[in-house]
Amino acid sequence: MERRKLLSRLFEPHPASPGAARYTNAVLRTQNNKEVRFYDDLIRGKQVMVNFMYAECQGACSLTTQKLKRIYTQLKPRMGKDLFFYSITIKPEDDTPAAMKHYAQMNKVDLPGWLFLTGDPFDVETIRFRLFGMSHPGMDLDDAMHAGMLRIINDGRNSWGMAQSFASDKHILKRISWHDRQKSYGELVKEYQALQKLIDRDVKLYGYRRDV
Amino acid sequence: MPKTQANDRPEIDEKIEGTISRRSVLKIGAAAGAAGVLAPALLSPKEALAFEDPPAEPTRCDPQVGNPPPPQPDSPATTPFMDNFTAPFPAVPTILFPAPQETQNQGAGEAPRAAHQRWNQFQPEVQYHMIAKAGLHKFHAEYADTYIWGFNGRYPAPTVLNVYGHPTVVRFRNNLPLQTNTFGRNEITIHLHNGHHGSESDGFAGDFFGVGFWKDNLYPNCYAGLDAFGGNGDPKEKMGSFWFHDHRAEFTLNNNLLGLNGMFLVYDNTDPGHEFATPGSLRLPGYYGITDFPLILTDKKFCATVGGRTEMVNSIAGTDKWVVNGKIQPKMTVRRRKYRFRILNTGPTKVWTLNLVNPDGSTGTMTCIATDANFLEHPLRINATDGAANSNATTAPIVAGGLKVAVAERYDIIIDFSEYNAGDKVYLREAAVQRTINPSPDVLPPGLDIRNVILQFNVVEREWWFPPDTPAIPSTLCTYPTLPATDNNFEWQFVRDPACPAGTTPVPPRLFRVRRQGDGPLGCAFDAEHPAHAILRGTTEEWLINNNVGASAWAHPIHIHFEEFRTLKRFVNGVEIPVPPLMSGRKDVTFVEATQGSLIKMQFRDYNGRYLIHCHNMAHEDAFMMVRWDICPDPASLAACQAELQVCQEVQQCVPNP
Repeated sequence: MERRKLLSRLFEPHPASPGAARYTNAVLRTQNNKEVRFYDDLIRGKQVMVNFMYAECQGACSLTTQKLKRIYTQLKPRMGKDLFFYSITIKPEDDTPAAMKHYAQMNKVDLPGWLFLTGDPFDVETIRFRLFGMSHPGMDLDDAMHAGMLRIINDGRNSWGMAQSFASDKHILKRISWHDRQKSYGELVKEYQALQKLIDRDVKLYGYRRDV
Repeated sequence: MPKTQANDRPEIDEKIEGTISRRSVLKIGAAAGAAGVLAPALLSPKEALAFEDPPAEPTRCDPQVGNPPPPQPDSPATTPFMDNFTAPFPAVPTILFPAPQETQNQGAGEAPRAAHQRWNQFQPEVQYHMIAKAGLHKFHAEYADTYIWGFNGRYPAPTVLNVYGHPTVVRFRNNLPLQTNTFGRNEITIHLHNGHHGSESDGFAGDFFGVGFWKDNLYPNCYAGLDAFGGNGDPKEKMGSFWFHDHRAEFTLNNNLLGLNGMFLVYDNTDPGHEFATPGSLRLPGYYGITDFPLILTDKKFCATVGGRTEMVNSIAGTDKWVVNGKIQPKMTVRRRKYRFRILNTGPTKVWTLNLVNPDGSTGTMTCIATDANFLEHPLRINATDGAANSNATTAPIVAGGLKVAVAERYDIIIDFSEYNAGDKVYLREAAVQRTINPSPDVLPPGLDIRNVILQFNVVEREWWFPPDTPAIPSTLCTYPTLPATDNNFEWQFVRDPACPAGTTPVPPRLFRVRRQGDGPLGCAFDAEHPAHAILRGTTEEWLINNNVGASAWAHPIHIHFEEFRTLKRFVNGVEIPVPPLMSGRKDVTFVEATQGSLIKMQFRDYNGRYLIHCHNMAHEDAFMMVRWDICPDPASLAACQAELQVCQEVQQCVPNP
């Protein structure tokens, strides 16, 4: 019973989370044609990384997908458990669930914990603007906020940030870790011990802390 | 004694009548060492460690729902001049346990860091403990308590008073709440702006640490130039008004808005913190909190008082309360003599335009003696008659008789109240108005709007016990250090990504970035893992700080960590103009408004490591207008570093809207 309690706490939203009022509870469809509610099923209490793409996109989108694939491999043990990737189409008129499935299979990214989502164009548009608001009024009021970036959300911590899809893998992994759930002191101790070893190695190699 | 829970302490206090209460023991324990030995036997571990229960989390009145979120109503109205203007309490030195050490003290819970550089040379003589934690602060007598995050629970933080030649360790401990309702982030990395010290003590934006950990920052209180001059460096590199603040990447604005900042003053024989005629002393007004005051500026917005709390709104747009040293429109009794004010704009984003208003409505005189902690060679009078050239504006509109203070800039000014009569009221005025201010209880000078006033000075005769006036301000305050030859030229452009035509959407979204020569059209966003520029230790570079790019409509106060620079040239629209007098001295923030640029010269010496150049408008800084540059110890590591530079070749696409 204790364990069940622990598990349910893992996916509890933060008390200050704006919830569906901000993220919307729009009904989207996954690449497997399953209906999901955006906040309740996809965001609530979870750590997720969202990007926008469309199946026909050449260049930037597929580069991003390849990048995310490498990130996915590195984070595999967590994927689908407490970390999820969502790729949402910005051309829902063209991108049916079947088209998304085809895209995922073609890129070999039809993986657990990584959903390709499509839905009503109005809903998708709304989500796009809601997600890429930056809680900086100067930027929020600019209605040109949009894709290409990776939006990292952790609803359990009411935390969100972003990473640049073209940046190094190291950079994106670090940015994801900046929004990990609130770790216990013990977990942080372990994490910091590992980091300290890397710092010491850096100082030996370069004369100062350079890479970590 | 019955076993009790820690959280029913108030009842315990009543129950143990006639005996000494646990809480009193605790107080005695804090005051007297002997009782402190007894205390652990009587107290639960939590109490023995003197952990107070943090204040209850605020109820947010500004749900961030919708995009953009709906505008917040104005702050509750306040009556002017109800609070007293005071200096933040000086920080009390302590003896840290466990003692500070060169390498990270993992066993005792220190956050990861590289070993302190120059530890053997600068063994800490003074130690402070700054605990970042939640607290309550009253911003105005008519307001209830406001939930803040502050060092030792206070806003503004206690001021550290230090002396050159006496190295200090400040232990920054993170006791912020594990889960919070506020807009802050419970991870911190503290930057001392603008200390000359190793990068492990510099509060690098990516080096934040979590709740329960601490980190020792070693501040050697040395002058720059240790390698070249030996000893404690070049005394011409003396600085005075530092400040420390949280620098957590992506959340600097939020944490600073909540209150994680404070001042840090360092004295030396020219500026000794007193007014006696000691050798070398300039005899400036110098008693902290008596004749020498920090003047810490920030702007805020508050919710209506509910449930005994007046909470802060997470807003930087539409702020309507000007806060000075933690109070809204305070008053201050001044004697007819000279006072020194160390103006600091803690932002997060507002640019202040200050001037002094005489009782007859004319502009008073402020004498600027230092820009960003560094003495000017010659003090500069700022008023209506000494010429607009003395003000800090280089383009229209010129601030006649005013001082423009961008985020993170410090200006030390002296106001001579002996020019006024006892009974006079003098006002410090900010150009922008606050919205909800009750009528003034005092008759204001003609032409002055009460909504512009941020501070009222009540001039009185000097009492016999008050320190007598200091001599006239010396006409020469310092000699600038000689600048060595330039080894390298570099350009940094501060840009916002361009807008896209109507009907299309930019991919990626429009960010604030830093662009180098040869970068792609967009430029670099903050990357903690890669330097954007590598520099060999011991060299000197000229940097062009350029905001004359594209159709920039933004103003950027650009801050460079580590050492002070000199402004060699100023540009407007690419055309060189004379360097304004207030920018001619040593500085660490150069304010480049739209179309402006600064050519600065800076030395990189004494330490190795990662430092930052960024826009100190904290909204821009959090939206990635920040890059890392490295000082490499030798040519080999420089070459290795240059192979690892941040690559910024991102191209903007304008994607047709669906």
